[in-house]
Amino acid sequence: MIGCYDFCGHYEWTFGWLEQLGGHDLVRDYWLEAISKDAQIHAEELIVNHGIEGMRRYWEHTLEEEAADHVMTSTDKVYRIDMHQCPSKGFLIRNGLNQYRDYCDHCMGWIGPMMVKAGFVVDHEHNHCGQCWWEMRKADDPTPPSEMGELSGKNDVRLRDDWKQPNTDHYDRSTDSDDKSTLP
Amino acid sequence: MAMPTPVPVSHPLPYTDAKPVGAADFYTAINATFRFIFNRFGREGLLRYWRELGTNYYAPVSQQWSEGGLHAVAEYWRAFFAAEPAAEVEVTQTADEVCVKVLTCPAIKHLRAQGREIVPYFCQQCHFVSEAIAEPAGFTVRVQGGNGSCEQRFVKRGCGTQSQRMEDIATAS
Repeated sequence: MIGCYDFCGHYEWTFGWLEQLGGHDLVRDYWLEAISKDAQIHAEELIVNHGIEGMRRYWEHTLEEEAADHVMTSTDKVYRIDMHQCPSKGFLIRNGLNQYRDYCDHCMGWIGPMMVKAGFVVDHEHNHCGQCWWEMRKADDPTPPSEMGELSGKNDVRLRDDWKQPNTDHYDRSTDSDDKSTLP
Repeated sequence: MAMPTPVPVSHPLPYTDAKPVGAADFYTAINATFRFIFNRFGREGLLRYWRELGTNYYAPVSQQWSEGGLHAVAEYWRAFFAAEPAAEVEVTQTADEVCVKVLTCPAIKHLRAQGREIVPYFCQQCHFVSEAIAEPAGFTVRVQGGNGSCEQRFVKRGCGTQSQRMEDIATAS
């Protein structure tokens, strides 16, 4: 049986298997069709129908279940997550698993299309070491991402001593896993 | 594809987490992954996925079973199901086999509770993945039942066990 305890391990292995079989497009299709539109339909129901309140309800449950070290901050305009220890990426690092070139892309791979449907865009950075931050705003809200500490205060992951890592990925008002730049 | 190189551990599970039990919501992704691969590549594609997952990702399990014999098989499944939420399992070992009696399959239970459409071939994973793990270690697996409860026998190869009959594995729903 394939279990949920080590899910992140075989999930990441599957990205590499799919890429070998059908290239990058097949991995993107998998995140969209299998994860965003199938596995995570409970997230879509909440987020598309309830916006920021739905995001809060979805991630409050799922990040609690996954025992993630994180902080959520929300107003009526923006929903922010500061992820201090990603349980998923942390599992891979601790167990020395690295079959796919950028595991962290999978989050934008399934969340992005859902945000399109809900009418939101995403500012996001991940440092490939288990830390990241997210800000979701309505697509017609031109507000730029918050300054360091502005929204989540001392809980802002960017204030960590170990936040700055080489090759941190940056997304600017994005909804696509490939729509990113890499910070030196 | 390169084989994973897990951190050396004495734990019966080669990949370990900081939390004792997995998150049940991941069963929805496992079910969806099977559906995606089946829809794109048919039954042969899904069998290939299960076999290669067993051979590659779970290679450290094969190694543990190869080195530790039936005792390692039994310890693996005890630890495995202890880390799956709401699983009810009895594991027994005799001279020639380990019997894993799954009284409550945690995946089927959760998928039903969530009202998910379970792929009908869901339970076949337990034969194909486990067989890919078992074969290099000198064992073979026979699955009987499914769709919420089943019996999985891990037997030393060459003990005259009959071939796995697919009709002995229940259609999931």
